[in-house]
Amino acid sequence: MKISINWIKEFVDLDGIEPDELVKRFNLSTAEIEGVEYKGKDTYKVVFGKILEVKNHPESQKLHILKVDVKSEVLQIVCGAPNVREGMVTCVATVGGAVQGHKIGQAKLAGVESNGMCCSAFELGIGADDEGIMDITEDVPLGEDIKTYLPVDDVILEIDNKTLTNRPDLWGHYGLAREFAVIFDRQLKPLETVDLAKFDGLKKLHIKNNAKNCYRYGAISVDNVTVKKSPMWMAVRLYYAGMRDINLLADITNYIMLELGQPMHAFDHNVVEGIEVIEAKEGDKLLTLEGEEHEIPEGSVVIADNNLVPVAIAGIKGGLKASIADATTNVLFESATFDAVSVRKTSRGIGLVTDASQRYEKSLDPELVPVALGRILEVLKNIDKNIVVSSAFTDEYTKKYDKSVITITEDFIASRIGERVPKDRIVSLLKALGFAVETKGEEIIATVPSYRATKDVSMKEDLVEEIARMYGYDNITPKPLAFEPVPTPLNKAIREEYEVKKMLASKFDAVEIHSYIWNYQDFNDAHYIKTEPVVRLQDSSNAGQSGIRSELVPTMLKVVSENRNMLSDIRVFEVGRVAPRLDENNLVDEEKRLAVVFASQTQTKEELFEQMKKFIVDYAKQDLAIDITLKQGDKPNFMHPYNTFRITSREGDYGYVGVVHPKTATAIDKRLNIVAMEINFGMLSSKEGYFKKAKVPSKFQSVDLDVSILAPISMTYGELEQVLNKYRSKIMSGYEYVGTYTSEALGDKKSVTISYELSGKDHTLEGKEIDEFLNGLIAHLVKNKLEIRK
Amino acid sequence: MKEKILQLIKDFEQRKATVSTKEEVEALRLDFIGKKGLITLLMQDFRNVPAEEKREIGMLINEAKQNVESSVAELKEKIEEEELNKKLESEPRIDCTLPVKTGTGALSPRTILQKQIVDMFVSMGFTIEDGNEIETEYNNFDAVNVPASHPARDMQDTFWLDNGEVLKTQTSAAQNRILRTHGPKCRVLFPGRCFRNESLDATHENTFFQIEGVVVDENVSVANLIYFMKEMLKGVFKKDVNVRLRPGFFPFTEPSFELDATCPLCAGKGCGACSHTGWMELCPCGMIHPNVLREAGIDPDKYNGFAFGLGFDRLVMIKTGLDDIRHLNGGNVKLLKQYGTKI
Repeated sequence: MKISINWIKEFVDLDGIEPDELVKRFNLSTAEIEGVEYKGKDTYKVVFGKILEVKNHPESQKLHILKVDVKSEVLQIVCGAPNVREGMVTCVATVGGAVQGHKIGQAKLAGVESNGMCCSAFELGIGADDEGIMDITEDVPLGEDIKTYLPVDDVILEIDNKTLTNRPDLWGHYGLAREFAVIFDRQLKPLETVDLAKFDGLKKLHIKNNAKNCYRYGAISVDNVTVKKSPMWMAVRLYYAGMRDINLLADITNYIMLELGQPMHAFDHNVVEGIEVIEAKEGDKLLTLEGEEHEIPEGSVVIADNNLVPVAIAGIKGGLKASIADATTNVLFESATFDAVSVRKTSRGIGLVTDASQRYEKSLDPELVPVALGRILEVLKNIDKNIVVSSAFTDEYTKKYDKSVITITEDFIASRIGERVPKDRIVSLLKALGFAVETKGEEIIATVPSYRATKDVSMKEDLVEEIARMYGYDNITPKPLAFEPVPTPLNKAIREEYEVKKMLASKFDAVEIHSYIWNYQDFNDAHYIKTEPVVRLQDSSNAGQSGIRSELVPTMLKVVSENRNMLSDIRVFEVGRVAPRLDENNLVDEEKRLAVVFASQTQTKEELFEQMKKFIVDYAKQDLAIDITLKQGDKPNFMHPYNTFRITSREGDYGYVGVVHPKTATAIDKRLNIVAMEINFGMLSSKEGYFKKAKVPSKFQSVDLDVSILAPISMTYGELEQVLNKYRSKIMSGYEYVGTYTSEALGDKKSVTISYELSGKDHTLEGKEIDEFLNGLIAHLVKNKLEIRK
Repeated sequence: MKEKILQLIKDFEQRKATVSTKEEVEALRLDFIGKKGLITLLMQDFRNVPAEEKREIGMLINEAKQNVESSVAELKEKIEEEELNKKLESEPRIDCTLPVKTGTGALSPRTILQKQIVDMFVSMGFTIEDGNEIETEYNNFDAVNVPASHPARDMQDTFWLDNGEVLKTQTSAAQNRILRTHGPKCRVLFPGRCFRNESLDATHENTFFQIEGVVVDENVSVANLIYFMKEMLKGVFKKDVNVRLRPGFFPFTEPSFELDATCPLCAGKGCGACSHTGWMELCPCGMIHPNVLREAGIDPDKYNGFAFGLGFDRLVMIKTGLDDIRHLNGGNVKLLKQYGTKI
């Protein structure tokens, strides 16, 4: 929203305060000012002049040679504007002057001397019209600097609308002036208005309110409006505030809106005799001034004429039918309050956000309704002396807000701000902000002004804010919090997350990724990845990305695909959240997962798989004291049907690890070997670590005994391990897998070498003890149809 | 006899100076104290020495012998040392300038910075919590004082899911659960990923990370909040920062503030990053709205507190110098590889 300091100064004396200071203090006490524009700064020596003569330029079809009277002299000016005519009064930038930074000097245009420049409103920066030079109909003194007559010099503040969301009172200059008055401890001037009671004797208008979302509908009619065009000063103000002038009656409603924050509407009273406020029926439509037809959502508040034909969408937009035309002389002014939510819904429903709807959405004060009408009459009569008010103020006030009274004490404010503000200061600040304040002993009883009572201020905490911001946040001394020493170790699940990430990055050369939460359907389809989201985005603009991922590996494979031409080895991981299923209440049962993908052009699947297995087994064992077992089981369609395994332990099943299905891997890049894993990390990391029972090693020297066992090729190590685990001996402290050997000579057998560590608890082992162990082992193996390789 | 001995000692010293190889040392030893060495021979003559000279000559011979022994040992050692040195000199040398292969894995800069912040908050007595990314409408909006009709629901363009839940639009979505679990006296920090349905550019992402904190206790004041924020930002930027509060508007807090800190890039002088104001908007915060406390079962007449949200991705951009936030959400492995593994 753009704010004119000139306009503010009409209501509060801000003399002696620099614009920088205004901005700074407003920022700290009220709302954010995003920008400051110094209007008119680079425009000077522009005067009013009258064109006495227009001659064609001998060398140019477009240019004319003018004689312009600027009182002190008659200037010859060459001008290219199409609208020049003799007798026209316009703005003339004289030699030595400047127009928005563009310096004016003596010049020759197509060989003819030119001493100045006739300007359009756009060139001067005071209007949008750039079709021709200004055509002034007002009676202006020739030769006078336009700045003495027009508010060209101004400081425009751009306020961030978002920070005014809860302040309906700040959507107009008068309310902002009130803030400035409090901030700088100046007096707010009363608003000059016409007293509506004067017209009580006149006939009332036909106004009916049949819509519950219309809180108040006020109207008054005016006849004999003869002025059609807004005065130049008003046009400049509207332009500086971001609007443009259309005609006096339309402009003046905008002007009052910008001044008071109360949107208004002007209907041609000859077209609209009376008003019926109704709720839209299905199929109701409105053709706007711009020629757009809008379908009005059913139930929206609609302003209709006596015949129930819609003439405006309440609080949003007026229709073409009853709009102000050149011929309009009799007007009906509307000043009304509509329900904020209802206006917002309708506005969003038809996709039309207007200056009016933005204000209504903030919950406007119904008490503003007569104020705005009184003000519009005041402004109008100063512009057009001939107007005649032709009706009484007609007011349908159906929903009033309750009066809001809040009681606080100096102590309460001190405890909440952390700084003692004396009672007198509290009272004076609240009064300046418009609160009615009474004191009773310690109590400060504040009645909220109507313009703050619609939703903004309703409780004690709101007054804390009012007092603190006006007292000045920068005047509050920071104070430490009382500290109670309570042990707060880092949450286990979060600590594990950091640890597993660190391990993957530092020991396994993997890079951490944050991928998006949605699936990429096109990528999945193109790479034979079937993954079914259980939940989807509503109204997604991109249907291919509407599914919320139910697993992580597919998005990681997409990362591999995106990097395959940049790197020959891609090792990535992500700890991320997925939506794997809905619970009985149809809510997402979210899981925190860990996914790892290793892809390589140089390493084999087996090597990659071994590294990944090492990671998960090592991490689980060393960090969490969990023994991992890999088993056959369920796997996603994009994983290898045989070389993918469930990751399990006694505690449960965490996920899978394995080789990516060759179909998918080839589709990504046929050069790449890819392995992947995904686990429920929340489940794995929740296990509390503990100290394992450690064995104190024997003091006596141990003996390593390597044994090669002949086993059928089809026998897995796990199966062999089961056999080995059944052989027990007092002198065996453990065994380790060394390697597997196959050869043609061995036929359908393989040789698996195991290294046993043997030691005596209280003595050094003797040869015969070792022989006994070995013989026992051989017998055990034979019993299990295995043998030792000699 | 005496003269012979003295002459032998002289001879030995002369020979000693000429010796340079192990073999020559051995020859020298043999010549003087070998079985047929000069000193050995002299010693064999010792019995012929008159009794009155025996003592003196005996001492002299022994001394001479010991001198030869120790000199030979010394020479041997010295020559061995020299030989070893020669050998080492000619051995192949290690090129210490050859590069080694360092790790190629890396953590996201977000993880690195988040851990630093988390550690700092743990040291200030905060519990760290984790939150869901998919939240109920209640947790995301109603529980934090954003009723259905509230314009704030428009302010945040929400990703709605077809089961009626939302991708959480702010970390505050976890407030209700956290306040319920931790009760009225608590300090909790909860980092999380949030989502907004908005168009993307260098500084706006539809997916971004925030870090939110709450402190609830008895008699918590705005002055406490300012103190705390200052200390926290000092910790984050590892230097003293000035902060200022401005009024803000968030439904979850009353009063609400925007917290600006001295621009960490230009130290308040004004630069492009802070729009030449010297201040950077870093941290929306405020005193927790009584409705939020009430909704979490905490009596707002007895307890109050403050909440703050750190625009975490912005901090990451400042710390890393990245100018486009989208780099952190894609899988640009070559870029992300560079951040190392330090946490």
